[in-house]
Amino acid sequence: MKNYTRFVKPVYMVVLINLIGFLLLYMYSKPNNNINNNITIFAGFSVIALICLTYALILKLEMGDEYLFLIVSMLMSIGIIMLYRLDRNLAQKQIIWLAVGIIMFFACYFAYLKLNIWYKVAYLYPIVSYILFIITIVFGGGKRGANNWIAIGHINVQLSEIIKVLYIFFLASYYTDPDKFRDCTIAVKRLKIKINISKQWIFIALNYIFIGFLFLQRELGTAFLFFGVFIFFLFIFGSKISTLVFNAIIACIGLVFSYFYFYHIRVRFDTWINPWSDISNKGYQITQSLFAIGSGGFFGTGLGLGRPDFVPEVHTDFIFSAICEEMGIFGGIAVIFLFFIFAYRGFKISLMVKETFDRIVALGITLMFALQTFIILGGVIKLIPLTGITLPFISYGGSSLVSGFISLGILQAISKKA
Amino acid sequence: MYEVISTILKYVFTIVIYIFIYTIIRLIYLDIKSMNKRAGLSDKKYPYLKLLNRRDELSFRVDESYVLNSRKTIGRLSKNDFVINDPFLSGNHAEFFSEDGIYYMRDLGSKNGSFINNVKIEYDAVPLNNGDKIQIGQLTFIFVQDNR
Repeated sequence: MKNYTRFVKPVYMVVLINLIGFLLLYMYSKPNNNINNNITIFAGFSVIALICLTYALILKLEMGDEYLFLIVSMLMSIGIIMLYRLDRNLAQKQIIWLAVGIIMFFACYFAYLKLNIWYKVAYLYPIVSYILFIITIVFGGGKRGANNWIAIGHINVQLSEIIKVLYIFFLASYYTDPDKFRDCTIAVKRLKIKINISKQWIFIALNYIFIGFLFLQRELGTAFLFFGVFIFFLFIFGSKISTLVFNAIIACIGLVFSYFYFYHIRVRFDTWINPWSDISNKGYQITQSLFAIGSGGFFGTGLGLGRPDFVPEVHTDFIFSAICEEMGIFGGIAVIFLFFIFAYRGFKISLMVKETFDRIVALGITLMFALQTFIILGGVIKLIPLTGITLPFISYGGSSLVSGFISLGILQAISKKA
Repeated sequence: MYEVISTILKYVFTIVIYIFIYTIIRLIYLDIKSMNKRAGLSDKKYPYLKLLNRRDELSFRVDESYVLNSRKTIGRLSKNDFVINDPFLSGNHAEFFSEDGIYYMRDLGSKNGSFINNVKIEYDAVPLNNGDKIQIGQLTFIFVQDNR
């Protein structure tokens, strides 16, 4: 009994999960002899090494909250094991992205702590974001109805993932000191009309430009995400009821308008309300996802024994269905649980830290992760209309993973200040 | 063959994930407990005891710091001011008090003894200086007193 906790340290659990997972994956691929299995072993050990090394560094350098990274590494391990089972080439790429992400994690951690300019450059965030949006629109390539990728060399980069971080900084710098945004007076002398636009409305307008750009790129999930974070911020920072109602009305009008004018949004709604009427075509993805989740049962079929490959896009947006099928409802609930603890830690950091800017950034990052998880998990289980967005730290996607680690690095830096 | 192993390991897998969640929640719980205790006293200029052990290696609840704002006793029994369930502590282990701005520590006849900078102390009060290392039971504290 004495000091039993020495043997159940959480980091050992993460290592154990990886060992079990990659052992299974090693055996899983045995029948096809043409695949080089040594790579599986190498991949497994590199994931374990990356996690242990990062965790050791966090402890050694006393980088504040140590649970954040543990929770994330558990989520990531589940994700990479699942990805490896679905498509080993993608998973190997993902491990390389993981290494890049961890480098970015440390870089952002030190950049945020050492540089003290983040709240001073309030106007820069929207400007840089809009430039990035325009770059995406001009040079971007389409993929599955969304027009949100640009190619740099052989790598496809999704700039909106970086804009997420900029957007949070923009919100935080506004709410830290709204006076940085001046009131704007438009005077038309000839007609003797003076329109005074207060800074609050400028702020709201800037927000809608963000959301509008995302709409143009058909990134519905991210647009929804930004709008959610925006509304939460309005609510948290005690805006007037009239402002909230105004934004809610705008959102409703926007939704109704886009339902009638954009075909792909109507499809999303129709398949949400009744996917069974067009099961072989429009409703195929969501119904296959529901079948996959249902066929898992409590403990799942076991890794490699289910058929998650029936679900289109199972490695990115729909990875949760694959987890539910092969690791069971308990596995799925565990993932949700982990996101719960993560969000809780984030909110706690936000409450503990003293400086307003840090507070709001921590709050924004946590809200972003929490809402993103809600939007995609809700979509996959048909709770809300499906919008394509990645599940943080689990889905395949280099940009998403790296942006996740950038946010995590900033959160870690804030927890150090607390 | 693979099917059997995979079927067995899926239970292990799920159980390990839940043990992980349990340990994280437990550590977070310890964290909140200590957060509530500290609140209110942290701003004032009292000396305090700072824990040097890593709390996740201990099987009992212990705070990160203990503020010595008045006479304080430490031990396992609930009538003490600082109750710590370390099996190596005695029921009434040690006492801290101040006289004329100097802080003293005395042992209350504990079984495993109290040590200041690795020197065993007895019932006679010993004055404490900033940075002194205090060992009781499995715990090691450092005495922190800001110089005025």
